[in-house]
Amino acid sequence: MSASFPALLLRLVRNETLKVLKRRRFRVVLAVLAALLSLVVFAQARQQAAAQREGRGSDWRASAERRATQMERRAGSPRIPPAFARYLKYEAGRLRYHLEKGIDPNARTGPAFCLGFAGLGSVLFLPLLVAVVASDLVSSETSEGTMKLLLTRPVARWKVLLGKLVAMGLFTTLTVAASAALSWGLAGFAFGWRGWGAPVLTGFQLGSGGSLDVSAARAVPLWQDAIVSYGLAWYSALAVGCVTVLLSVVFRSAAAALGTMMATLVSGTILSRVAADWEAARWFFVTALPLPDYYAGLPTPVPGMSLAFCAAILAGWAAAATALAFVLFVRRDVTG
Amino acid sequence: MEPGTGGDVVLVAEGLAKRYGDREVVSDVSFRLRRGEVFGFLGPNGAGKTTTIRMLVGLVRPTRGRVLIEGFDVRRRFEDALRHVGCIVETPDLYRFLTGRENLEHFARMLGDGAEGRIDSLAALVRMEGRLDEPVGTYSLGMRQRIGIAQALLGDPTVLLLDEPANGLDPAGIREMRELIRHLAEERGLAVFVSSHLLSEVERTCDRVAIVHRGKTLAEGSLDELTGGGARSLEELFLERTGGETV
Repeated sequence: MSASFPALLLRLVRNETLKVLKRRRFRVVLAVLAALLSLVVFAQARQQAAAQREGRGSDWRASAERRATQMERRAGSPRIPPAFARYLKYEAGRLRYHLEKGIDPNARTGPAFCLGFAGLGSVLFLPLLVAVVASDLVSSETSEGTMKLLLTRPVARWKVLLGKLVAMGLFTTLTVAASAALSWGLAGFAFGWRGWGAPVLTGFQLGSGGSLDVSAARAVPLWQDAIVSYGLAWYSALAVGCVTVLLSVVFRSAAAALGTMMATLVSGTILSRVAADWEAARWFFVTALPLPDYYAGLPTPVPGMSLAFCAAILAGWAAAATALAFVLFVRRDVTG
Repeated sequence: MEPGTGGDVVLVAEGLAKRYGDREVVSDVSFRLRRGEVFGFLGPNGAGKTTTIRMLVGLVRPTRGRVLIEGFDVRRRFEDALRHVGCIVETPDLYRFLTGRENLEHFARMLGDGAEGRIDSLAALVRMEGRLDEPVGTYSLGMRQRIGIAQALLGDPTVLLLDEPANGLDPAGIREMRELIRHLAEERGLAVFVSSHLLSEVERTCDRVAIVHRGKTLAEGSLDELTGGGARSLEELFLERTGGETV
């Protein structure tokens, strides 16, 4: 490899970045992100206002106690699917532990909202936004005919694809960073921007008997928990990006690549709700996506999937997809 | 440098064949391209011209045969071979959401070594300097063709491959294109490969010609040689070689 390879790669990444920005796809991503977050913040602020009017919000202890009791009752019902029952038991146990420690589990602050969005967003929303940019990277060159020029320049095909993958990583990072910044910034208007130092209880685990194991639970400052959570959300999003780039290599149209990815994400989410006890679901990357939730201790849909196992599943899918993308991209004939 | 490619020969196509499933689109194409000549690749639509061009520049992997550019095998030494080539395959597709200049900068960055410094002089050569900062989406086909040629020349190539450059141009545009091609071969010493299904165009523009029909090269030579010093027209020759099928 020549000494100028890093310089060439930098120029290739610059090209890809320029194209993504000029296509205005990333602007759409940011706009959707801001719109959705505003909507959620607004809804939560209204909810809080309504609760305060009724006098419910004044005593968080009483409401936490009431919710915990409700969940325990429902978890015991035979009509509840097992995965949901596990979740209810977990939530009830979590609430009781918060009561014990005297920490309001639903304290609404900008930082708390930001932390919560890491888990919520990594299930479906962040993957979708990442896919919007990644699905376009290769397929648009094929459908617009520019692939012929791109691949007849004296730059080996694998280098061209590497430049695109680096650009994907760059925009994935920006998307995750923007969702952290926007969720805090927008929620701050409604709930205040302070509270990064507030203690968060984390590290619960659901024991084998179905009861909550609090022995590993610990209180950490919120900012610390947020850094880990967004790190994990970023890791999930990168895996989604790698799989989407493969789809973008396979399909000639960006719409087909994006559509396939959306269908996969949605059906994976449904799968982990309705067929949670199906053992094979654990090997599917969509099941492993909400890493921040699993880090916080939320039960996995299939019992026994540890955080490390989920991270390994995502790494495996990302590596396999990337390898296949390289093989297809380097070997295939460019026609039409 | 591989044997048999010395001197003036800049591109060698040797026994090229391409099979898709059961269908052999190209079965035996061979020719040589020399410095400073305009070479016509003449054949009816569907003769395998575009597939051949795609094999010349490494877009399509040949089933048999090989392509040497400045002595480098396109398959084995892709980057070394393609460093000497500029091309337009089929239509001059550029990034429509970028301006002409941004397109040229994009491809110059893929080349490095000061290619960006050539943008303005090349824009002047193809007479696009006035429209360079407008989006390509607003260009006419002829303008895109000219930016496409400027792009092809960015790397200071010795071989220029143009696929049906007269397609879709009006008579004035065709004439201008012909003059530009002649200029590049005569003044700059480029080997220019032009594929075409238009006999008259090839007769007017090219020094040497290969006739391709049903995936095979049937004849290769200078216009004088092939037409017997003008005794026969290229059209008669073409009809004779291809068994009377119309172009």
